[in-house]
Amino acid sequence: MIYLEPIGRIRKFDARPLCGLCFKGMNMKKTLVRLLVPVLACALGTGSLAGCSLPSAAAQSDPLSAEFYAMDTVMELRAYGDGAQDALDASQAEIASLENLLSRTKEDSEVSALNTAGGAAVSVSPATARLLSASLDYSALTGGAFDITIAPVVSAWGFTTDTYQIPSQTELDALLPLVDYTQVRVRNAADGQGDQVSLGAGQSVDLGGIAKGYASDRLVHVFADNGVESGLAYLGGNVYVCGSKPDGSAWRVAVQDPDDASGNVGVLSLRDAFAVTSGGYQRYFEENGVRYHHIIDPSTGYPANNGLTSVTVVAAAEENAGDESAAGSGTMCDAFSTALFVMGTDKALDFWRANGGSLGFDLVLVTDDARVLVTKGIGSQFEQAEGTDYTYEIIS
Amino acid sequence: MKSSVKLTFCRWDLIVAALILTAAGVLAAGYWGRTLAVGSSSLTAVVSAGGQETDRVRLASLSGAQERTYSSNGYTLTVRFSPDGVAVETSDCPNQDCVHTGTISRAGQSIVCLPARISIQLTGQSGSGDADVVIG
Repeated sequence: MIYLEPIGRIRKFDARPLCGLCFKGMNMKKTLVRLLVPVLACALGTGSLAGCSLPSAAAQSDPLSAEFYAMDTVMELRAYGDGAQDALDASQAEIASLENLLSRTKEDSEVSALNTAGGAAVSVSPATARLLSASLDYSALTGGAFDITIAPVVSAWGFTTDTYQIPSQTELDALLPLVDYTQVRVRNAADGQGDQVSLGAGQSVDLGGIAKGYASDRLVHVFADNGVESGLAYLGGNVYVCGSKPDGSAWRVAVQDPDDASGNVGVLSLRDAFAVTSGGYQRYFEENGVRYHHIIDPSTGYPANNGLTSVTVVAAAEENAGDESAAGSGTMCDAFSTALFVMGTDKALDFWRANGGSLGFDLVLVTDDARVLVTKGIGSQFEQAEGTDYTYEIIS
Repeated sequence: MKSSVKLTFCRWDLIVAALILTAAGVLAAGYWGRTLAVGSSSLTAVVSAGGQETDRVRLASLSGAQERTYSSNGYTLTVRFSPDGVAVETSDCPNQDCVHTGTISRAGQSIVCLPARISIQLTGQSGSGDADVVIG
């Protein structure tokens, strides 16, 4: 108990000293100076809080960041810590390297070589082979809702060249037989070198629906290799959050409202995770009052129109031990966001119920009748937006 | 048996205590003052062209709507800034995705014109529902 009495009376009570600083025989002025100098220096010396009792506030509030354009989208990286600059440099180099392999609009890429090989086998790097193999796996798993051989149809709509047009049904009927992932062959060499890939006659592939996810998988390694424990990578509609924010809180990843660019349907609190969104509002054109978006249903050749306005797939981010070329859950999220958008609400939820547990992913679905469906695995991490007209459901 | 140091209370104790409390108060005021200031009015539009920042507009400092023009990669965008948000009013780019985006008004949101390689990102804090990044 502390008695708030005049000093003299405290002494009279023989009370214990308030802070125990006065020891007989000690040099009081020296002691005082030793104590006050650091405290006052922190409080007043710089006018900021850097390096003082709240070290993270200023020293870590501003990450190193980089914005650049690759894979036909804008990308933004943020990283904290001593290795941040090296991580950003290495990340950009990694993404540029992947784009040089995987772009179908770069004439000297491996994918362009494959698309122009006329069905002949082409030697590709381990990264290209791994991603093509993963693409075929996800095509099979989704019953063809995700299919990289959709390329000729996407081109017919002009989405790769920004010269939008509505292809005739005759043209689509001629192109749709080329959309068949089962004709793609990937032959992996035993030592990982000299993998061979071939397409069916007249086919071409477009990895735009999965390459950014694969790139985000690779950034998990890049960040880790450079000692980054807190960071974020935004690769178009793909997000990878590394660790937590410097203050220890989770990263707040908002899911855009498909009908209102200034709003969102909710915010996900994520640590070490991928989140990928596909939506018909991202790239589209209008003709005669009808909107045509860029996510093409491989079964019809037309923009998917199955009741969803956006699909967000969320999964934990983990390093693939031993094989940095392997596709991980970032790749999976990217492929599934497209596939489930094509499937529509009911089939997407059925797919999640059948595979969400074993493959480790969850969903945020936004429907065209103003519902937001959040699967139970991320229900507690999802914060509903205020003031929207949406109704929210947790799906189990 | 060794004799222990005898502890006594003196006026220096109160002086030190008072100074430490004052320093703590200064620290707290600085921290919370800055945090509150950031929270109430720091929403800033950062305009970048080709990945390089070219302009920065603090929305709360605007008295009304203001239009600015940016050109990059052969395209020109007219951007409207106001205390309520930012929108691309016009663009001569082929796909008009930047115009379609509409008005953004919360931290973490952005407008991107891929053909022009221009991005406009809102940073800072605007209130509840803020995010580190927006996907979509």
